[in-house]
Amino acid sequence: MIYGDKKTGVLVQGATGRQGEFHIGLMNAYAKFVGGRGVVAGVTPGKGGQQVHGVPVFNTVKDAMREHDIGAAVIFVPAGAAADSIMEEANAGIPTIVCITEHIPVHDTMKAVAYARVQGSSVIGPNCPGLLSPGEIKMGIMPAGLFLRGNVGVISRSGTLTYEVVDELTRAGIGQSTVVGIGGDPVIGQTFADVLERFAQDGQTKAVVLIGEVGGNLEEEGAKATDIPIVAYIAGKSAPPDKRMGHAGAIVEGGKSDARSKIARLTKLGVPVASRPSEIPEIVKGLFRSC
Amino acid sequence: MKLREYEAKKILQEAGIPVPAGFLIKTADELSAHLDVLGDAIVLKAQVDVGGRGKAGGILMADKKNAVATARELFAKQIKGLTVREILAEQRLVIQKEYYLSITVDRSAKQPLLLFSDAGGVEIENTVQENPDAIRKAVALPLMLDLPPFMLRELAGKAPKEVMPVINKLYRVFLDKDALLAEINPLVITPQGVFAADAKIIVDDNALARQGITVNRDLSEREREAEKNGFSYVELGGNIGVIGNGAGLTMSTLDLIEYYGGKAANFLDVGGGAESDRVKNAVQLVARVPSVRVIVVNLLGGITRCDEVAKGIIAAGISQKVIVRLAGTNEAEGRSMLAEKGYEMLDTMDLVVKKAVEVAA
Repeated sequence: MIYGDKKTGVLVQGATGRQGEFHIGLMNAYAKFVGGRGVVAGVTPGKGGQQVHGVPVFNTVKDAMREHDIGAAVIFVPAGAAADSIMEEANAGIPTIVCITEHIPVHDTMKAVAYARVQGSSVIGPNCPGLLSPGEIKMGIMPAGLFLRGNVGVISRSGTLTYEVVDELTRAGIGQSTVVGIGGDPVIGQTFADVLERFAQDGQTKAVVLIGEVGGNLEEEGAKATDIPIVAYIAGKSAPPDKRMGHAGAIVEGGKSDARSKIARLTKLGVPVASRPSEIPEIVKGLFRSC
Repeated sequence: MKLREYEAKKILQEAGIPVPAGFLIKTADELSAHLDVLGDAIVLKAQVDVGGRGKAGGILMADKKNAVATARELFAKQIKGLTVREILAEQRLVIQKEYYLSITVDRSAKQPLLLFSDAGGVEIENTVQENPDAIRKAVALPLMLDLPPFMLRELAGKAPKEVMPVINKLYRVFLDKDALLAEINPLVITPQGVFAADAKIIVDDNALARQGITVNRDLSEREREAEKNGFSYVELGGNIGVIGNGAGLTMSTLDLIEYYGGKAANFLDVGGGAESDRVKNAVQLVARVPSVRVIVVNLLGGITRCDEVAKGIIAAGISQKVIVRLAGTNEAEGRSMLAEKGYEMLDTMDLVVKKAVEVAA
């Protein structure tokens, strides 16, 4: 696993909101199931002293850190406050910060990610479903029922498409080491290259499924910089130019970031690219047979 | 959202970047009042939300005598199908040298990327191909409110010193206005000094509210209606309507339609929490697109309640066929509700799409 395991204590920022409360319940149900620590503290300014599903709530991240051993944070606060949450957690020294929030202005994300880097923290997201290492830890909102522990890593810019692919893998008997949703925004903290670097250090992960989409060139950049066997899928072959396809970052600009150009560049790097999600399991099996 | 040239130039002017003397006019006759200031060399620029305006005849040269008539001629034109409602009338500059300056968001660096090119007045993509040595780049740390002087010197190269404060001022504009792109092309040197002869600013759609922008002009009417409902929506022109949850899954559904030889009418991401009302609104919105003959609903997610989705589809009561793929909680319940009303429900994305392509053909 990467980023965290059973022993990782998780903090939830925005603990008393509807989303925060709901997902603290699900994350801790998963922690109970695998015998992990799960969410140990929540933070909502002004709500210190309350409890959410038995989890104590604090006014500030530093207050929570004084009483609990915390290795990661998950953010569920509204877009206008999310960048501030990232910086508060980075400032308090939390190494992994997962930001679920969508619609954060890009400039706020750029500043928060730059600040986190100065503080030595890694940001996953924003606009992401978080991550899940089957049998170890769930940080975010992924539906745990679809997962199976194994040795294939998954990195994706999408949420539900990730569940689709994980479901296909699990049905085909292919387990996952860690599944990371890196987010659908133009600027995100951990990119394909960053997560691939973690997978390269992770003894459990033998191959990686990379789920990309139109916009930018982070998929190719990641594939170029790693030796791990990769299978890719790129969504958005039918996306017209200059239109945002749901994700702020999914936009074909300047004639290079369309799906076909990306697929061509990945193919040139020797990466097999599935033309449909349902083809991914067979290609992964092929990789294992050949190595 | 892309700002119009006159809006972008107003922002530059307020930031202390010189722009040519100019006036926005809505009728040709308004121009007469400004002719004394504009002088004898005038350029008339149609303010339309479309690229390649110059080549499409949207920019005309005039002198004092024929300015009003030329403006009348421009107002009568259609520029790539758009009516000209506003014209920016400007003093024509005496250009000695043209440069290119832009700031964008670099996804790899996760920071602002500055480009300065000695070849101004042409598309930067062409310069990248034909004259890459003319371009200098720098990545800025967005936590700094000003660019360090060394970076300004590196970017400017042999260009006159007076371009350096312009670079820093444009960087400030980029930060202050939540820009995804701030571009001056060309940045010109004249006997009177440096001027931004053309300007382009794109504001982050997620920051429109705090920038005081209430209507996103880049969206069509139906796209705006969809946005009000919390949907992401794009029109694509085919006859198979598409509703999905999550941008990636919905895009992937469109691609499958293409794979099986069909043509999607739209992209609609219904977003998180597909309650029955949201689903109903989404189905009705897509059904109103005249070309739509069949609608694919592809919803997946651990917390999506299938009975709610089924309720929404049934409540929409549309005339076109709806083919459904549903996975989530209360799946059996949703399935039987739909089956009772005669809706077709299939197990995988491949199956629903294949079926829809058959129906639409």
